[in-house]
Amino acid sequence: MSSRLSKLKRWPSWFLMLVCAGVLMFLGTQRDSGPSTAQERIEAISQRLACPTCDGESVYESRSPGSQAIRQEITRQVADGVLTDGQIVRMIDDSYAADLKLIPSATGFDALIWVLPVAAFVAAVGGLIIVFRRWRREGSLVATQEDQILVTQARQDKD
Amino acid sequence: MFAVSINAALGRGAILLGLLTCLSGVAVTIAGIRQHDLRALKSSARYAYVAFFAALLAFVMMERALITRDFSMKYVQQVGSRDTPAIFNVTALWSALEGSILLWLLVLTAFVAAVARKFRGRAGDELLAWAMVVMFVVGLFFFFLSFGPANPFTMGPLGVSDGPGPNPLLQNHILVLFHPPILYIGYVGFTVPFAFAMAALITGRVGEGWLLETRRWTLYAWGFLTVGIILGSWWSYEVLGWSGVWAWDPVENASFLPWLTGTAYLHSVLVQERRGMLRVWNLSLVIATFSLTILGTFLTRSGVINSVHAFSEGSVGPWLLGFFAAIVIVAIILIGRRGDELRSPGAIDSPISREGAFLANNVVFSAFAFVVLLGTVFPLIVEAVDNRRLVVGQPFFNRMTMPLGLTLLFLMAVAPVLPWRKASQEVLRDRLFWPAWCGVFTLAVAVFVGADGWAPLTAFAMGGFASGAALRQIVLASRRQGWRGVVGRANGGMVVHIGVIIIAVAFTASNSYTRTQEFVMNEGETVTFSGHSFTFEGLSLESDDVKTSVKAAVRIDGDQIYSPSRSKYIKQGMDIGTPSVKSGFVNDLYLTLEGTVRPDDTQARIKIFVKPLIMWLWIGGALMAIGTVLAAFPGKRRRPTAPVSAGLEESVQEVADHA
Repeated sequence: MSSRLSKLKRWPSWFLMLVCAGVLMFLGTQRDSGPSTAQERIEAISQRLACPTCDGESVYESRSPGSQAIRQEITRQVADGVLTDGQIVRMIDDSYAADLKLIPSATGFDALIWVLPVAAFVAAVGGLIIVFRRWRREGSLVATQEDQILVTQARQDKD
Repeated sequence: MFAVSINAALGRGAILLGLLTCLSGVAVTIAGIRQHDLRALKSSARYAYVAFFAALLAFVMMERALITRDFSMKYVQQVGSRDTPAIFNVTALWSALEGSILLWLLVLTAFVAAVARKFRGRAGDELLAWAMVVMFVVGLFFFFLSFGPANPFTMGPLGVSDGPGPNPLLQNHILVLFHPPILYIGYVGFTVPFAFAMAALITGRVGEGWLLETRRWTLYAWGFLTVGIILGSWWSYEVLGWSGVWAWDPVENASFLPWLTGTAYLHSVLVQERRGMLRVWNLSLVIATFSLTILGTFLTRSGVINSVHAFSEGSVGPWLLGFFAAIVIVAIILIGRRGDELRSPGAIDSPISREGAFLANNVVFSAFAFVVLLGTVFPLIVEAVDNRRLVVGQPFFNRMTMPLGLTLLFLMAVAPVLPWRKASQEVLRDRLFWPAWCGVFTLAVAVFVGADGWAPLTAFAMGGFASGAALRQIVLASRRQGWRGVVGRANGGMVVHIGVIIIAVAFTASNSYTRTQEFVMNEGETVTFSGHSFTFEGLSLESDDVKTSVKAAVRIDGDQIYSPSRSKYIKQGMDIGTPSVKSGFVNDLYLTLEGTVRPDDTQARIKIFVKPLIMWLWIGGALMAIGTVLAAFPGKRRRPTAPVSAGLEESVQEVADHA
């Protein structure tokens, strides 16, 4: 039984598993994952814009008059069906003095918010690789006879 | 009539008593350490008890003032009201800055007193004495805040006989009674491991001793913080009316940041206990976790950041920022001073090992915390540098944290099956086989029920993979140890993992597959949406002393009536919408009443959200809480000082010194 199980767990089964996963992912990603109604498109756009009058909320979350006005504008634009989601966001953002986009741009000073995390992550992973290499070079420490005596003594003292 | 009310007088006296007690506690304990005076060291417990009594008295006086409507006090004028229901009069204490600092003080001093009580037999231990000093210093700082810049007991203008009451959003749901105190227990609980870490750095006993002393304290703090965050999400879902549970709001982020570093610490500490490694890293994580609670308090209490949760601008900001800076500077100096003593013996043999996976987990958690911190403070940086307003919102956080979340799910799948030191290909192939098939099976189910999009599908597959690994561990442990297979740190941890996975899957599903439609409905009209029928049966008016509410009656699937409403809070003049939710294991039907409504209208705008798997968020949260309790139980019994693996020579020396 156990030998049959271990045979089952060999590479061909893993290959079959990967194929199954790949096929399923392919099937799943072929479907349309966008908003299915105009209302859902309005909701999706409103999640990308900040409420102009409230504290750190999006138009989607906020119920303030300022957000209601933007929501109505989005509804109008979606009903017209001329502009894409991105164009609607840009158009509304341009019509306000403040920056309403909830996602910072990737240019100028704002680009730092995108670059810094990636740089930090790369540095951390790089650091980890260097440390692992050093560890591999140095190898593990082996307890010396002095260490053994120290441990025995400490145990005896504790007991 | 007193010029100063009895509540204010006693409250102020209590704060002063606490302040002086903490100050004396610091002085007497340090003197005791310097002079090796056991009597002085033993007395530090008494200072802890008195500080707790002082905070409790101040808390009780403030509650008494709110309940008896003592409008001579400024704070009661600000958040109290004659019409507020009794329960929300109690919760009004933590509905604004000064009261929330008072709650912080109560929880903090309770922890200090509990530590003093727990270690009462070891008053002469220098590590413990320094930990008490650090906790007294933290207590001193918060008593000072309460005595000066955030004094809740100042007198208000004369002749005020009523107030507005708390923010309407804070008198709309019973969860406001539980969410803040539980969150604070988690937040403040991290003071204990922080104090022991600082004590370890001061005394030079930087081995594993302080970790073992604080293992459960850290776990409890983390557990309470987890439950607090989940309850906050639940409150947001039930009250705010936008149907979401997490908005990446700065205040939410402030609670999430210490959770991330605390979670990283709970994992990396295992490497130090087992292999004696990562000493500086673990000290840094504990210090970072505590510092982030102070930074979070600064962000939410100073008014520097725009948030629906944040309190109005006060003068506590510079003090909190100064305290945060002091903690970081002192910690860096202490770590620098210990230099070589912190160098860990031993090495990690292979990245494909349990400790290798924990390291990777720590890198991802740290990156996660960095992204959240950067996204939270970036608007401040832009304002300071560029003098313009920028809001960093949900789309940024979702985009940046999604790959990190998926990586964490993958690590949750792989790490539990990895052995310490090194894993061979055969071991990996053998142990990951069924968990991996669990992932494929979950993916198949997701595709079969209509899920789409590569990110959600990957999350479901990884969730299945990780839950397969966790279940495998629980089954194996239960076979070996019977009922003990679900208790102990490793096994309880697997229950926590299952809770996290359930939350990740539910969060992904509810974020990706919510269906929404707004209907303008006439009385008696029925609409069908997402396979459910909704019949609008009319509007009704309800009023009490606090608010006037217009409620819509909507019958779902010809069965029960649900009533989303809009309420006008009379004193604040605020119009608040309250959703009505039909919860189910597969979908929640979330209804809101939109626009301006009058009770005699025969038409209403009803917005319907169909939100999948929301209930599983709360079930996952409950599992995490249960898993935390199980993890706190002793598993396979082992003397805490017994060496467990190679590379603990300093720890052994520490034991020898101590003995």
